[in-house]
Amino acid sequence: MAELLSNAAIPAVVFLIVVTAYIKGVPVFDTFVEGAKEGARTAFDILPVMVGILAGVAVLNGSGLIDIMTGLLQKPAQAAGIPGETLPLLLIRPFSGSASLGLFSEQIAKVGPDTFLGRALSTIMGSSETVLYTLAVYFGGAKVKNTRHAIAASLISSYTGMLAAIFICRIIE
Amino acid sequence: MLNAIWVIMIFSGIVTGLITGRTKEVSEAILSSCSQAVNLTIVMLGAMCLWTGLMKVAEKAGIVDTLARLLRGVFRFLFPGIPKGHPANGAIAMSLSADLLGLGNAATPLGILAMKELSNINGNSPIASNAMVMFGVINAACIQLIPATILIIRQQAGSADPNSIIPCVWVASLVSTLTGIIAAKALERASKTPGCQGKGPGRHLI
Repeated sequence: MAELLSNAAIPAVVFLIVVTAYIKGVPVFDTFVEGAKEGARTAFDILPVMVGILAGVAVLNGSGLIDIMTGLLQKPAQAAGIPGETLPLLLIRPFSGSASLGLFSEQIAKVGPDTFLGRALSTIMGSSETVLYTLAVYFGGAKVKNTRHAIAASLISSYTGMLAAIFICRIIE
Repeated sequence: MLNAIWVIMIFSGIVTGLITGRTKEVSEAILSSCSQAVNLTIVMLGAMCLWTGLMKVAEKAGIVDTLARLLRGVFRFLFPGIPKGHPANGAIAMSLSADLLGLGNAATPLGILAMKELSNINGNSPIASNAMVMFGVINAACIQLIPATILIIRQQAGSADPNSIIPCVWVASLVSTLTGIIAAKALERASKTPGCQGKGPGRHLI
């Protein structure tokens, strides 16, 4: 069911748009090309933003800072009821999509997918997004320099969601 | 804020790398990240063209307007200040639908498109408007019905019931989205820079 939904969604959307437009007498292909040109320009606007963000994240990942911070935060986190095993994922998740996915696959194999920890890690991953990348690319695409409170609000939202994920999994355990 | 975060990331990363003696890893990572960025952009270039093209078709066919009208009530609360019938309404609706369905390749281009429409209302100012911040925050909160990638990894890890986490994911996503909306609304007032409310030309971007 889940697979069917995600597989059928794109063809259904494309079909609906194209057929409706044709019936309404829109010059479908010409319009499409006109719009696609705008997309190509935007994609190139985003490239410099992408290089900057990924370079910053790469430095952070390569330096081993996350491991050091995990070590430092281990005790306070456990006192607050956050399992130490989830800490590296909590730290890296908002900043790097590829690093958090790699970390997740590695850890879930270690703790087992159907344990409390396995479910907590899965829920954290499933309900959160690479905040920094998403915001940088979206605002970069619109050529916005001052994002105001966007990053702060997103980090609050992201961490509340991830802590809620751990809490929910503990309740239903 | 991105300025400060970037400096912190680079500074703390390089200093830690020097202390832990991982300068080789750091220099390798920073160079490979550049080609990774190019790869991502090339992958997105095609999807970006496809979805902006289709959005233009959908807009001309009136589909975007219909979708926007359906969501008018919610939008009036979340994004006050978007003129009635402006294409930004439809672009936001399309982008959030793609998020919900987990269409990663479509969600990003549609999201950027919606952001550009919102920027247009904001007079293409380099300072984000309240609506733009709200849209960015909701997108970054990841409202997704089926977290497909995570379910696949769970299955590969030998889970007896990979889908069992879906209700938990929904609740956690809802918590994070609602917190994001509240935080964005609350910080709007506390923000040092007021949202630029310049009137844009209202030109149709797509």
